[in-house]
Amino acid sequence: MGSAAPVTPVIEARDLTKVYDGAGAETHALRGVSLAIAPGEFTAIMGPSGSGKSTLMHILGCLDIPTTGTYALAGQDVSALDDYELAEVRRTTVGFVFQAFNLLPRSTVLRNVLMPMLYTRVARDERDERAAAALRAVGLEEKLWTHRSNELSGGQMQRVAIARSLVNDPSLVLADEPTGNLDTATGDSVMELFGSLNAEGRTIVLITHEPDIAARTHRIVRLQDGFIVEDAAIADAHVRQYGAGAIPVADDALHPAAAPDGDV
Amino acid sequence: MRFADLISETLYSLTANKVRSGLTVLGIVVGIASVIAMVAIGQGSQASIEQSIQAAGSNLLTVSPSAGGMSGPGARASGASVESLTREDAEALAGLSLIAGIAPAAQGQGQLVAPETNANAQFIGVTPAYAEVSGLTLTSGAFISERDDAANAQVVVLGATLAADLFGEDTDPVGARIRSGNMLLTVVGVLEEKGVSGFTSVDSAALIPLSTCQRYVTGSEYLSAITLTVSDEEQMDAAETSVEGLLLERHGIADADYADFSIMNMSDLMETVSTVTGTFTTLLAGIAGISLLVGGIGIMNMMLTTVTERTREIGLRKAIGADSSAISAQFLAESITLTLIGGALGILAGWGIGALAANLLGATAIITLDSVLLAVGVCAFIGIVFGYYPARRAAALSPIEALRYQ
Ligand SMILES: Nc1ncnc2c1ncn2[C@@H]1O[C@H](COP(=O)(O)OP(=O)(O)O)[C@@H](O)[C@H]1O
Ligand SMILES: [Mg+2]
Repeated sequence: MGSAAPVTPVIEARDLTKVYDGAGAETHALRGVSLAIAPGEFTAIMGPSGSGKSTLMHILGCLDIPTTGTYALAGQDVSALDDYELAEVRRTTVGFVFQAFNLLPRSTVLRNVLMPMLYTRVARDERDERAAAALRAVGLEEKLWTHRSNELSGGQMQRVAIARSLVNDPSLVLADEPTGNLDTATGDSVMELFGSLNAEGRTIVLITHEPDIAARTHRIVRLQDGFIVEDAAIADAHVRQYGAGAIPVADDALHPAAAPDGDV
Repeated sequence: MRFADLISETLYSLTANKVRSGLTVLGIVVGIASVIAMVAIGQGSQASIEQSIQAAGSNLLTVSPSAGGMSGPGARASGASVESLTREDAEALAGLSLIAGIAPAAQGQGQLVAPETNANAQFIGVTPAYAEVSGLTLTSGAFISERDDAANAQVVVLGATLAADLFGEDTDPVGARIRSGNMLLTVVGVLEEKGVSGFTSVDSAALIPLSTCQRYVTGSEYLSAITLTVSDEEQMDAAETSVEGLLLERHGIADADYADFSIMNMSDLMETVSTVTGTFTTLLAGIAGISLLVGGIGIMNMMLTTVTERTREIGLRKAIGADSSAISAQFLAESITLTLIGGALGILAGWGIGALAANLLGATAIITLDSVLLAVGVCAFIGIVFGYYPARRAAALSPIEALRYQ
């Protein structure tokens, strides 16, 4: 390990580009994005609609692959993984929360939360325990657990979705506009939930439009037209808990060349 | 994915989407049941027709007098009986090696006068061999004996219906006397009911000794038919040829085209009937094939209309860590389960409908393994291909593409 990098970044992306070839016209959704995020960070990605936020998030969550560029997740280069290896990364390392919740509507809450563990080797008893723990952690009353997920309110659904993202104990939680479909009060409580998850040491990256929401994180990355135009720590970040002497995040993250090469 | 999880996930998914599962199963049931029922009815009626011919005896040859060629010596207006066969012919045929039994018979109409009622009946003059050759059994009394025949005895064996008509259902008429013309017949036996098999129904006939019949009823030495049983069913054609040869020789006819008799071969008849009923079965199978096609399209439709919804589900499952093989396994398991349930219900329904319909037609439904395999095979193929193939394709998409699928 180089002395410049005492901690392996959870996310280390370099020169990511993504080109969608739609009907006739190509869309350059990302035009060279580099980003490093250390363990325990709580980051908001902001930017106007169409700026490439979701595209970036999907690549970070291994739901999609970049057109060019490299991406290391928790020290593992995932740019070259095949379908099966990517599935394993999604299963073990990332928890993804969607704006549209994406629950199975006709399945119960519990079933939805148990689902990610179907694809693991976790024993049955332990699954039930983990699902219950996750549902308690997101503050969903036990009487709702056997309801079908389409019987819940938006806030409850998003809690279920967050619980689902947590059951496999991911080192990184990604959320694409998790409060976008929620009213302010519900959005606030969801943000509180993310805050406490972060306080427990989880690395969280979320996308938001709302400055209020972004203000509750510790770092804001701003995208525009497929470029990062700003990357700043929130000044009064006294609640930061991630390691003392962690890799510099605010300015240097704009210059990934400063990040350790030999670390991957 | 563990096997137990796969099963539980499959059952959960199918029960969580009852309408979708139900309609798919229905499509499979319709397709399978119609094929099985149709084929069962077809084969059932075919078998029952063949069986009734068999009951009449498929080793029978019947020689009847008939006009020969148009310019033949015995040519008469068609339909009129020809007098050509005699008892001596029958006795001569007995010498042929393939012939096991010989029943010469003469027929004539007559009025029967019983103590209570009268009836018009068909007299059949027979020898003792007639009972065995025609497969007759008695409910009471005895059949006509050699002695009766030798002595022109005035005895009669009544068919079941005729006995009931003359003496009532519950009376045993053995020993009773019946007058007919200048005969006074003593009833010596009653036949068991035979049903409508064969060509003449003995149920409404009065059987008397051949000699008596020739003397008192027909008044001639000629026969109306000679029925022969052939010892080996495989040799029907050979037997027919030898019978024809002997009779032609006896009647002094050189050219078979001018024969004054005709021979009907039961196994030939059976073949003809089989061909006809086989065509009928094929026709039903064709109709069934169309139902199968319709059922198949129904299954396909169900599977394909849910692809949008399911593609998103697949995207979601992949997003939370399922790999393509886990997705494929799940969808394959669902398709197989639906097909198995639909297949089982379809076989039961097809069997039920077939049995019911065959019953109405007076036959027994015959479920053949072929029809079951064909119907189940086609439905399983359609169900699995259209349930599994789109899923496999969706599983090959990236999770995001699948989630965005409209
Ligand atoms: N699957 C896709 N196919 C084609 N174009 C896409 C696709 N996804 C996103 N885009 C385009 O890429 C650009 C960035 O989209 P996105 O990452 O969703 O932006 P944001 O989330 O910031 O609104 C947009 O112009 C969008 O239309
Ligand atoms: Mg977006």
